[in-house]
Amino acid sequence: MDFTFLGGMFANLLKGLPLTLNFWVLSLLGGGTLALILNLMRTTRIGNAVAAAYVFVFRGTPLLIQIFMIYYGLAGFGFVRQSFLWPFLREPYWCGLLALILNDAAYTSEILRGGLRAVPKGAVEAGRVSGMTRFAILRRITLPLAFRQALPAYSNEVISMLKATALVSTITLMDMTGIARAAISETWRAVEILLCAAAIYLAISLLVTRFSAWFERRLSPWQFGRTTP
Amino acid sequence: MTDAVETKAVGPALSITGLRKTFGANEVLRGIDLSARDGDVISMIGASGSGKSTLLRCIPMLEIPDAGTVTVGEDSLSPKGARLTRAEEATARRMRGHLGFVFQNFNLWTHRTVLQNVIEAPLFVQNRSRAEAVDEATALLEKVGLAEKRDAWPAHLSGGQQQRVAIARALAQRPRAILFDEPTSALDPELVGEVLKVIRSLAEEGRTLLIVTHEMGFARDVSSRVVLLHQGQIEEDGTPEQVFANPRSDRARAFLSGHFDRTR
Amino acid sequence: MEFGDLALLGFGPEGWGKVLVRAGLMTLAVSVAAFLFGLGLGTLVAWARIGGNAVLRRLAEAYVVVLRGVPDILVIYLFYFGGRQVVTAIGTGLGFEGPFDISGFVAGMLAIGLISAAGQSEVLRGAYQAVPKGMVEAGRVVGMTRLTLFRRVIAPQAMTTALPGMGNQWQSVIKETALVSVTGLVETMRQVSVAAGTTQEHFLFYAAGAAIYLCITTVSDQIFRLAERRSLRGHPQGGM
Repeated sequence: MDFTFLGGMFANLLKGLPLTLNFWVLSLLGGGTLALILNLMRTTRIGNAVAAAYVFVFRGTPLLIQIFMIYYGLAGFGFVRQSFLWPFLREPYWCGLLALILNDAAYTSEILRGGLRAVPKGAVEAGRVSGMTRFAILRRITLPLAFRQALPAYSNEVISMLKATALVSTITLMDMTGIARAAISETWRAVEILLCAAAIYLAISLLVTRFSAWFERRLSPWQFGRTTP
Repeated sequence: MTDAVETKAVGPALSITGLRKTFGANEVLRGIDLSARDGDVISMIGASGSGKSTLLRCIPMLEIPDAGTVTVGEDSLSPKGARLTRAEEATARRMRGHLGFVFQNFNLWTHRTVLQNVIEAPLFVQNRSRAEAVDEATALLEKVGLAEKRDAWPAHLSGGQQQRVAIARALAQRPRAILFDEPTSALDPELVGEVLKVIRSLAEEGRTLLIVTHEMGFARDVSSRVVLLHQGQIEEDGTPEQVFANPRSDRARAFLSGHFDRTR
Repeated sequence: MEFGDLALLGFGPEGWGKVLVRAGLMTLAVSVAAFLFGLGLGTLVAWARIGGNAVLRRLAEAYVVVLRGVPDILVIYLFYFGGRQVVTAIGTGLGFEGPFDISGFVAGMLAIGLISAAGQSEVLRGAYQAVPKGMVEAGRVVGMTRLTLFRRVIAPQAMTTALPGMGNQWQSVIKETALVSVTGLVETMRQVSVAAGTTQEHFLFYAAGAAIYLCITTVSDQIFRLAERRSLRGHPQGGM
């Protein structure tokens, strides 16, 4: 057990943590927003078809291909190179972020859709019959119930996105995985380096699991055998 | 009078001695002694929580009693621990083969048709031939009035129909005794009658039946014996006349007056 | 031309069609191998979590937590680079010389299989717990042995619940095989990358790759839906 090596390795890998966290949080925020928009689109027929096609493509293909498509593929188009977006789309950071956002949006929109479907019709009817406006029903009944239903699936998605950020290392970005790859080609002590990196990811995902369990219990105490909030 | 039922001239069909069972802090059974001869039709009545269902479930070891012995025919089991050992489990299985059990919630196998439900145990537990099992099953389904539903799925039947299938399923085992755990409690009132009719006909055939029930009128009319359970002990054990008309204990009197239609 | 010369996708002398099809088949091969491995291992892990003693259960739980908390690409790297390290150590230990290598296929199959096993064990465990206890009791009370009970009651009932989850797992496996490209194995992802790099027609070939994956996932989806419908016979529409 070469502790000096391991210690140095951990310090080295943690330098990539800010970038990993950056991708993770921003992709969840961007993906979540886009997911809400996608679900709103589903209320119209054309919007529904577009949203369905979007989800089909982004859930049916690997994230890696989506990343490469955006980073390498878009660069081949003249109109892209000349647009105002080019300064962004030529940078691996923005390409990677865009790919992660688009990918997360597809999965999150389905999770949201499932949550909304699970809201009991009776609860909505009770709201209508007590005179609530449609907006009030959405805000006070539908969304809170949908959110609680979607929480377990969404916490899985949150962890999935953490793991997904590791793929940006394939387009030269130095997140934790990128640093690990570089370290491997320098020292060839692959197993130790990879185990260090894995441990860091694991620690973060365990925190997420803990937090989401706590959050679920707080939001729905009656489901866990507690009689008072 | 009895058909396809093993009757032994010696020994009771079923007997229980010293049965005790505790769930957590709750002592549900506090020493039960009960025995049933062939041809007995015993109704078990009592308040909720009196332990009647637990007692019934202990017989085929669906619940493992903490103390006591259960004897079915020639097999006897006194479980020692919270889980059955392999040897005890083998004995329990043999005992179960001689007992038919009808659940409150029918518990039909929803992934099998009605006929398949009835032949399942004969085929896969008793290793009878398919032809024999199907013939007998068809006859049993006719007996409970569901011959035309033999290829239906349980989910498409009413509660009363499902329960009758469950009874046919129990009969298909050719059991020495049939145990009924509140067979009509989960049924809509208008479906209760058809199930009670089938149970009554079984009693009239001379079969050995143990019925946990809330149907007092039925218990009085059909049983040869009534057992009243209160807080884990047998309060009364006698003929229907003895128990319903002349209960000996105050508790029995209180229970019966609360549950019985006085005008009958 | 902006979208790329479609002839490049064809089967002619300039066309990459043939190698793309081969790569697609390789994707299928790795997927099937990994999924089946995951199924076997996942069943063991689920069994350990359900019926094992305390130690086994803890181990199985830890396994699932770890494999679900670590990025797939790290696991693949681990098996690939790590595998090479192990094989090299063994090889030099035994006195052999020269660069040692491990097949990308094997590394990928093991890595993805291990990851999939964690997910599949959760699906199987959930399906087992969803079997109505009443039906299991009905089986026990007629005297079924544990094996018969499993075969005739638990497994058929659990399958209905398990199929959608297993379908998802299969879809995940297909997409994860794209990551095996980092080992150099010529499956779809690698092949389209090579083609794109060679011809500089990036968009065309990545689109082609996406199409290949969409084909595989769509056909798989249809098959699983068919299986789900068949296993639901006897259930009233919309559950029990």
